[in-house]
Amino acid sequence: MDFKSSPFMYAVGIIIVLFVLAQSVFFLVRAVKRGKELGISSEKMKNTALQSALFSIAPALSIVATVIVLSGALGVVLPWIRLTVIGAIQYETSSAQSALNAMGNAAGISAAITDPEQFTTVAWVMTVGSVMPLVILPFVLKKLQKGIGKAMGKNKVWADIMSAAAFIGIIIAFVGRAILGTGDKSLSTIGDGAGVLSVTGLLSSVGFMLLFSFLVKKFPKLKKIESFAMPLSMFLGMGMVLLVNYVFPAQYLIEWRY
Amino acid sequence: MKSYFDKTHTWGRIWTVAALIIFLMMPVAFSIHLDAWPQAGYFFKGLASVAIIFYPTGIIEVISYAPLLGAAGTYLSFVTGNIANLKLPCTMSALETSGYSVSSEEGEVISTIAVAVSSIVTTIIIAIGVLLMSVTGFIREITSPDSPIYPAFQQILPCLFGAIGATYFYKHWKITIAPLVVVLCVLAFNGGTQVGVLIPISVAVALIATHIMYKKGVFGREETADNQNG
Repeated sequence: MDFKSSPFMYAVGIIIVLFVLAQSVFFLVRAVKRGKELGISSEKMKNTALQSALFSIAPALSIVATVIVLSGALGVVLPWIRLTVIGAIQYETSSAQSALNAMGNAAGISAAITDPEQFTTVAWVMTVGSVMPLVILPFVLKKLQKGIGKAMGKNKVWADIMSAAAFIGIIIAFVGRAILGTGDKSLSTIGDGAGVLSVTGLLSSVGFMLLFSFLVKKFPKLKKIESFAMPLSMFLGMGMVLLVNYVFPAQYLIEWRY
Repeated sequence: MKSYFDKTHTWGRIWTVAALIIFLMMPVAFSIHLDAWPQAGYFFKGLASVAIIFYPTGIIEVISYAPLLGAAGTYLSFVTGNIANLKLPCTMSALETSGYSVSSEEGEVISTIAVAVSSIVTTIIIAIGVLLMSVTGFIREITSPDSPIYPAFQQILPCLFGAIGATYFYKHWKITIAPLVVVLCVLAFNGGTQVGVLIPISVAVALIATHIMYKKGVFGREETADNQNG
């Protein structure tokens, strides 16, 4: 049996997954209890949960795809654990590659690791390289949020506009990459080079979302779909990408930043 | 008596320290089980090239994301990861739909529900995916480059942020212009600039430009009233 996927490895993975689930359930239960005390309607909380679940499906599948890519070299368990905790797609591939290159393994993550020492070195680098936020959070978060709370409490109108600006700043980073970003060649699962398909996805999801907002405003009976308009627009945007991909001849599907 | 926020920070710290210990025990357990420990030279060489980028990025992420995720949302998000592509979009859409501000206690509750549910769903999907992959190879088929729906998976991020951004762009088009122009200029110069670098630039430009516009009275009564109502 491959040492990277032995029952012991799976047992470690299951323990970590159960820990993550326990933490999430703990905070979820606390939040729901507090929400009831504050008078937030059950429907609002249920819709938040459902919307969040729907939003998570497609990106979660793309994370599974990254597990698949890394499993060729590292087995299934280590990428599974790393992408369940702290992990991010961009981080995991580069840290695994960096650890293997440090040991003179030129093939990196494109070939299966057969040496247990190389495997544990990768596990150590991936883990220690990613823990910085967890080290600083317990010390800084409370002070950081108190400071922000004070600044925001002074002028509510200013604070709300600045909060919207911060959100927009984050969204624009992704929008910009869809328009002019080159693809990341090291991530075969995320071919995010800007081109006809990325702009199609961006514009069609914007269009669908605005259409839903308009319909909800115009026909109050449709208020119920409001919570699902965003995830639905995302899926419809992905559908439009597929439509354009298969309907338009290949020479028109230009990727201008590859 | 301790407030909800204070208790959230106490619990958040306990869970974070516990998470840190459990995560660090993972490579220890592998090394003991396989009786294979990394050589210090290789470990530090491999770590150095990762840490030089990801340690500063980790600190910047905490500062940039914490004001947007709420207290419990931040503690949870940094344990489960995938913040920019999962936890943040879920929080943003939940707050936008519910109409609460993240700085209010109601917003804290809503953002916690959004992040917790996203973490649970993602963890379960990844676990099922790993199981299906180990047993049947099914997931490998639908997410492989040969799959007919692969082009859609490649464009998840534009679709995700297009859906979230639409109402923000519509409501706050004046705020959108400055960061968009700067980000496009950066990408025109270096198209490979990653999102982790673009986010602090884009957020800083958006905040500075918005503050200047606010001071100059650029925002109409309708926009500020919209914000006051959440």
